[in-house]
Amino acid sequence: MDLFAQLFVNGLINGSHYALLGVGFGLIFATTRIVHFAYGPIFTAAAYAAWFAANVLGLPIPVAMVFAAAVAAVLGVITYQYLYLPFERGQSSSHVTLIASLGLFIVLENLIAIIFGTGGRVIDGYQYGIFLVGPIYFSSVQLGQVIAMVVLTALLGVYLARTRHGKAILATTDNPEMARIIGIDTVKVSRLVFAIGSALSAIPATLILLKDGATPSMGFFAVFIAFVAVIVGGVGSLRGAVAGGLALGMVESLGLWKIPTEWQSSIAFIVLFLVVLLRPQGLFGRTVS
Amino acid sequence: MEYILHILVMVCIYGILAVSFNLLIGFAGLFAMAQAAFYAFGAYATAILTLKLGLPFPVDLLLGVLITAFIGALVAIPAIRISGTYLVVVTLALQVIVIAIATNWKDLTGGTDGLRGIPSLNIFGYALDNPGRFLPAAIVALGICFWVAWRLANSPFGRALRAMRENESAAEAVGKNLLYMKVAVFAFSAGLAAVAGSLFARYLNYVGAESFGIDETIYMLAMVILGGTGNLWGSLVGAAVLVILPELLKFVTLPTEIADKSHLIIYGLLLIVILRLRPEGLLAERSTMRHLPHVDDTNRHGAEMTAPLPKDEVTLSGNDLHKRFGGIVAVAGFNIVLKSGSITGLIGPNGAGKTTAFNLLTGFLSLDSGTITFRGRNITGLKPHNIVRAGVARSFQDLRLFTKMTALENVMVALPNQAGDRVFDVFFRPMKIHREEQDNLVRARAVLDFVGLTHKAYETAENLSYAEEKLLVVGRLLATGAEVFLFDEPLSGLDRTTLAEIFPIVRKLADSGKTICIIEHNLDVIKELCDVVYFLDEGHAMAIGTPDQLMNDPALATRYFK
Amino acid sequence: MPLEEEAQGRKDMLKPIGAALTAAFFITTSAALAAEKPKDPDVIHIGALFAMTGKTSFYGTVMSQGMKQAIDEINAKGGVDGIKLEADIEDHKGGVAKAGVDGFTRLRNLYNVQAVMTSFSPPTLAIAPIADEQKIFLINGGGVSNNLVGASKYLFHNRSLASDLGHAAVSHAHDLGLKKMAELAWNSDAGDNIVKVVDEYWKKNGGTVVASEKMDVGASNIDTQVAKIRAGNPDFIGLWLFSPDPGLAAKRIRDFGLKVPLIGVEYTADVQKLGGAALEGYEFTSDYFQPSADEPWSAAFAKGYKERYHSDPDFYAANYYEGVYVIAEAMKRARAEGGDWYHGDKIAAALRANPTFKSVYGGSMVFQANGVAKKRVALFKVQNGNKVFEKYIEAK
Repeated sequence: MDLFAQLFVNGLINGSHYALLGVGFGLIFATTRIVHFAYGPIFTAAAYAAWFAANVLGLPIPVAMVFAAAVAAVLGVITYQYLYLPFERGQSSSHVTLIASLGLFIVLENLIAIIFGTGGRVIDGYQYGIFLVGPIYFSSVQLGQVIAMVVLTALLGVYLARTRHGKAILATTDNPEMARIIGIDTVKVSRLVFAIGSALSAIPATLILLKDGATPSMGFFAVFIAFVAVIVGGVGSLRGAVAGGLALGMVESLGLWKIPTEWQSSIAFIVLFLVVLLRPQGLFGRTVS
Repeated sequence: MEYILHILVMVCIYGILAVSFNLLIGFAGLFAMAQAAFYAFGAYATAILTLKLGLPFPVDLLLGVLITAFIGALVAIPAIRISGTYLVVVTLALQVIVIAIATNWKDLTGGTDGLRGIPSLNIFGYALDNPGRFLPAAIVALGICFWVAWRLANSPFGRALRAMRENESAAEAVGKNLLYMKVAVFAFSAGLAAVAGSLFARYLNYVGAESFGIDETIYMLAMVILGGTGNLWGSLVGAAVLVILPELLKFVTLPTEIADKSHLIIYGLLLIVILRLRPEGLLAERSTMRHLPHVDDTNRHGAEMTAPLPKDEVTLSGNDLHKRFGGIVAVAGFNIVLKSGSITGLIGPNGAGKTTAFNLLTGFLSLDSGTITFRGRNITGLKPHNIVRAGVARSFQDLRLFTKMTALENVMVALPNQAGDRVFDVFFRPMKIHREEQDNLVRARAVLDFVGLTHKAYETAENLSYAEEKLLVVGRLLATGAEVFLFDEPLSGLDRTTLAEIFPIVRKLADSGKTICIIEHNLDVIKELCDVVYFLDEGHAMAIGTPDQLMNDPALATRYFK
Repeated sequence: MPLEEEAQGRKDMLKPIGAALTAAFFITTSAALAAEKPKDPDVIHIGALFAMTGKTSFYGTVMSQGMKQAIDEINAKGGVDGIKLEADIEDHKGGVAKAGVDGFTRLRNLYNVQAVMTSFSPPTLAIAPIADEQKIFLINGGGVSNNLVGASKYLFHNRSLASDLGHAAVSHAHDLGLKKMAELAWNSDAGDNIVKVVDEYWKKNGGTVVASEKMDVGASNIDTQVAKIRAGNPDFIGLWLFSPDPGLAAKRIRDFGLKVPLIGVEYTADVQKLGGAALEGYEFTSDYFQPSADEPWSAAFAKGYKERYHSDPDFYAANYYEGVYVIAEAMKRARAEGGDWYHGDKIAAALRANPTFKSVYGGSMVFQANGVAKKRVALFKVQNGNKVFEKYIEAK
């Protein structure tokens, strides 16, 4: 039972990480319909930016995190402005944009490896705290992963529902055509979601840096799991992305309770496969038209 | 030089993969992300069957193709029920699972070490054990696979696939069996990918799980999209470019520690640049051009099309139809009787249940209760494509034309009873299909003549004017050969002059004995066209009568006509 | 400490052999005069297949650095009997079979290489049949799978097999009197090889395996595995992982409050960086590589490496550095036979004729009939972030 409790908490923690990745990716995807593959290397770049700020500039970690978010936001906006927007203006299909994004993925990942080297990077001398609650262990970074997910998602929810910009984002997500008609500058909205979505990715990126260190190839898994979380939870819904991410984390952790761990990377997909076969309308009851 | 020969072998293998993937993505519009898994099945089948069971060529190849095609067909079954993003997830999941099994089922697959020592191909005692010797075999395999894919893509079946890609419900509405099409195209795509896998195993004499990961699927996707979706030659070009380009980049000399990474950076940038320059892909999708037959031939079919049928017979009738969505009652106790040779109008406020009634009558929605009969035959519960084949066809309010196909193809695809819709006939009765296509061209020409779009035959539907689109909708419906036509607002948004063009067409159809039912809001149109009008509200017919009767009904006037 | 004394004793014993080999290496053989005039290439191209891009490109970096250093050193001393060496490195993208074959074919055709340094299982297994057919000398200093042994008759390894290292590690655990083992292994050929050998040994010697968990290469999330290991309540944990994952694993294991000994098979700069303080007390068996004043060649290599690349060499760099010297020496011997010597099979034959080579690890190594060099395997312990030699372990 102790093991189960521990696995449950692990699932919650990793699920929170996936959920936050999904929220950032999902915001961009739902609003712009761009499968932003390069979300992965921007996530990586954010981790390295945080490393640079903390280790080289010697800034405190919260400041490094903000710095990373700023770097990610700038990279995200540049990517939209100079890569996706020209494709959009050229009336390219979404497939073409996807492959262009893949091109950027390859460029950025290798650029990062050249600049920062292929070895891992950690913040020298950083030590996180360990908590023991009953039989369950977790670290302060892991706690941070859960808190970051809850707080940032809640803030984003309020922002989307309450502010003028947030409402413009929601309107564009609902129907870009209609949004343009009622006078919303959808290009501006897209720029905004790329800034917010990318900045959001910097938080889990920094936490992974603190937890495991940064490597140039860490982005692939991040964008992959974010994509899956969004689709599992349902495109266009903040709650869906969170639910999708948590579900993935939980299944991955609890699924291995009795199953050998060599199935770790596929267990969530096995469950997913079965669920979609049995419930083709999606996990959370949305009907597919 | 062996190096060049080796690269060409790789071009052949990836050519097969890209072509097979294009069938799914480019033609059928099925975004399935498990092509590398099918590739893996082919490779492991050959590896395991030759190493563990000692089976000789081509038994391993054929078994591998069959097994993989079967698995592909299984994937199609969820694909019929789910669409778009969910298909991406299911297939991604399949991709991950297959690789996990290849990695973890060590006794069978050798785990991450893989299987080595797979015997080289041996043709009449001549071992194909180096690139120079293997290349001819690879070219032959590519040739055969390309031919199979090309035959499929350019057959009536391929045309139906593209129609399904453009719009699934519209493809059903012209009588296409989506399940059959999806199963068939998945089986073919998977089977062809398995050929590439088997070649890979024979060429490298080694198979390991790392060769078939999700990155391989993405690589193939890049080939298909770069080459141009819906164009098989494009896939070959895409494969060639993406295989050769990295090799060329290796000649760019750079310091060791950054050389290979820099090559990839240049590669990524070039990918973006090429796509910017050719957003449709290197080779864009083209319709298979055909020459329309001469007018003399078409007159016969034109006459056939409007050959008079007996009038005033009951054709389609719906009896006590009920449908609710959750708590909302959409249709409740609706009765309708349509007769040949007459035009029936369906009017009523928004939300009255008019379109729902059409959906029920044509099988697009399942009934809660009630029965539907067509010429005395109970057609309740039939799938849409079977109802069309039985003789009841419908159009959609939002047109749902096959926008990336030409006007001619939009009509051709809708023609009934095409042997070419069956893959067996595509491959084993080519002459029959050839004759049938010639015949169908004449029919299509007649339909286009009838709706006055002959001069636009080779325009893609997206390039037509709104009025022409509406005419094409009528033409496509007509082509189904159905007896009953249910038009959902075919005339809305048209100006008087265009209406004046369409009215006679509809009238002419009714005069020839077809049964016509129209949902319409414009009362002038109703008055001018309809023989009988049903006034629908709250899910059932509030009143039935001639247009004049209904419009003079005081109760209705206050409710609706104002 | 008696252990250290013993080690010292053995080092002394090995020293004269090393010196003799060094002499043999640097003096051009006089036998060449007697034979047919050798047919020499203008330049000797030495090929390499490394992970230059992708998830594991860290390996490519250190391997290529070691290789290039050796080539520059040999060239500075006049190359192989006056013929210069050149490194041609191809990328197998972190162990992709096809990419390995692409690179290998390219090396063969563009540079007429006769000797190729390889790494990782899948590309090595995929090129092995081609090497057999074209008679190309192969040397692997990184891949550790048992499956590699004998894949080609021209394939040699100057790297201990994972299973041997694992065996050495558990026999040490056995010596410590530990009973309950938990293990965390790479879900790969290397991990599988170790698990197989270790489990068999452990059970035969009366121990129990309380948890046997697998992790993907480079996986960041291993909380589930660690939780399951903790639930097994082991006496020690075997880390059958390679760079940089032992560092990550040690950290997570300590996070979970597990204080039992950790015993593994690898420790590199990257492992150290990721693991940090969690690795304190970690014991591991590894190819014995310990630059010190007693081992002039390893000290010189380490110094040169540090000057060139501003970091300390790990044994992967050392293996590929050493591999170049093995190739150069074998070529020299082949050339001494005269005639059309520049062929992989001739080079391999020269190696087999006299399979003893000087090792950068100190002393010498002997290539066995199966192509694997018998190297000194030692047990180390991490103390204050540094690895400290404990003892040599006799490979089985």
